[in-house]
Amino acid sequence: MVPRYDAGSKVRATKHAEQQRGILGNPTAGQLVTGGCEVLSPYGLEIVESCLTCKLREERIFCDLPNSALQAFENIKYATAYPKGAVLFVEGQSPRGIFVLCKGRVKMSICSTDGKTLILKIAEPGEVLGLSATVSGKPYELTAETIDPCQVNFVKREDFLRFLKEHGDACFRVAEQLSEKYNNACHEVRSLGLSHSAAEKLAKLLLEWSGRNGEAAKLEPRLKLALTHEEIAQMIGTSRETVTRLFAELKKRQIIQSKGSTLLIRNKAALKLMAGA
Amino acid sequence: MESAIQLSCFDCSLRPDRVFCDLPADALEAFDAIKTIALYPRGTTLFQEGRPARGVFMLCDGRAKLTVCSGNGRRLTLRIAGPGEMLGLSAAVSGTPYEVTAEMLDNSQVAFVRRKDMLHFLRMHRDACLQVVHLLSQDLHTAYDRVRAIGLVRTRQHGPVKTAV
Repeated sequence: MVPRYDAGSKVRATKHAEQQRGILGNPTAGQLVTGGCEVLSPYGLEIVESCLTCKLREERIFCDLPNSALQAFENIKYATAYPKGAVLFVEGQSPRGIFVLCKGRVKMSICSTDGKTLILKIAEPGEVLGLSATVSGKPYELTAETIDPCQVNFVKREDFLRFLKEHGDACFRVAEQLSEKYNNACHEVRSLGLSHSAAEKLAKLLLEWSGRNGEAAKLEPRLKLALTHEEIAQMIGTSRETVTRLFAELKKRQIIQSKGSTLLIRNKAALKLMAGA
Repeated sequence: MESAIQLSCFDCSLRPDRVFCDLPADALEAFDAIKTIALYPRGTTLFQEGRPARGVFMLCDGRAKLTVCSGNGRRLTLRIAGPGEMLGLSAAVSGTPYEVTAEMLDNSQVAFVRRKDMLHFLRMHRDACLQVVHLLSQDLHTAYDRVRAIGLVRTRQHGPVKTAV
């Protein structure tokens, strides 16, 4: 059962069910089993304390900095862990600093004054959140809420701006990240403003998700559905009922098949046709 | 009405008012050396969505319309870019295709810098890189505003939402 999102709360407490499941299927929350020994860690995350020894450094745009810059970054960052459902920052809030997502995923959304929500994207590890607001000093443009337990490295605004002034490489990486975000935002504008129907948008989204994690080349790619039907509706600008109906139709036509939260795309060609590709 | 071409950035009277152009002398000199100036008539397409990013275009004066297109030819205007703005920046920095099509709305002077030269310039001049970061933040802010305007007007009918540009 997926916990319901309460728009009014700033931090949502982790449900008991989540705690029981744990992160690695371990029945006791917060206990990581490594090599037969139990290691206590928050939310079952293995916290990476130092960027310099992080094994994933080279795969990530922002993190792949020369040692001197990374050492300076180490001095200004605060490594923190958040449970699922924690709100890192809220749209309209004055920018406190950046949040480098080390582990886990975060939902980025925009809200209208009458409570409608649009999910812009799901941020993956390696992404720097709150970047444009921190750089410009303008309020955060999006709300960031974790959908997994996350490790996040927070850097205060003044420390980050000083860091950028002193390290040209880091400045360039930030430019690259901002470019990627802009690309994504333009993609959203195109998708929201020009797509014919919810069916087309859903098909596009499923194709995009199925192209990740090495599944792109497969005839029948798999994808793990990380979002509820309501959240998917918020991503493509339609209603939850429409998304549920569309999924039912796709399953009936045997274009997709679901096993729990894993979706198998049986007929990629039909899905592409639906997406208008 | 065509204005005289400003060949050197140092001669430009509007420089201090513009985010990118207000650079220290050594960076400005380097930028002067890598740019090529041209006068483009109204209606010229500077670059097209989906094409590989050749370089960046600085609008010295005049305006350009930035649009996105669907597979079946329907076009949506993202925004109107004004003087002092640098177009194609995000594509040039990240090496991805241009995200939008840019079409001149006025007869204008435009400074073009090749991608390779721009990247080298940004790596050599930290001040310019920081200015570019600020420019990209602004671009992103505008794009999010557009997403908000389009995406949060949820209508029952199928089809694009018509919003004023």
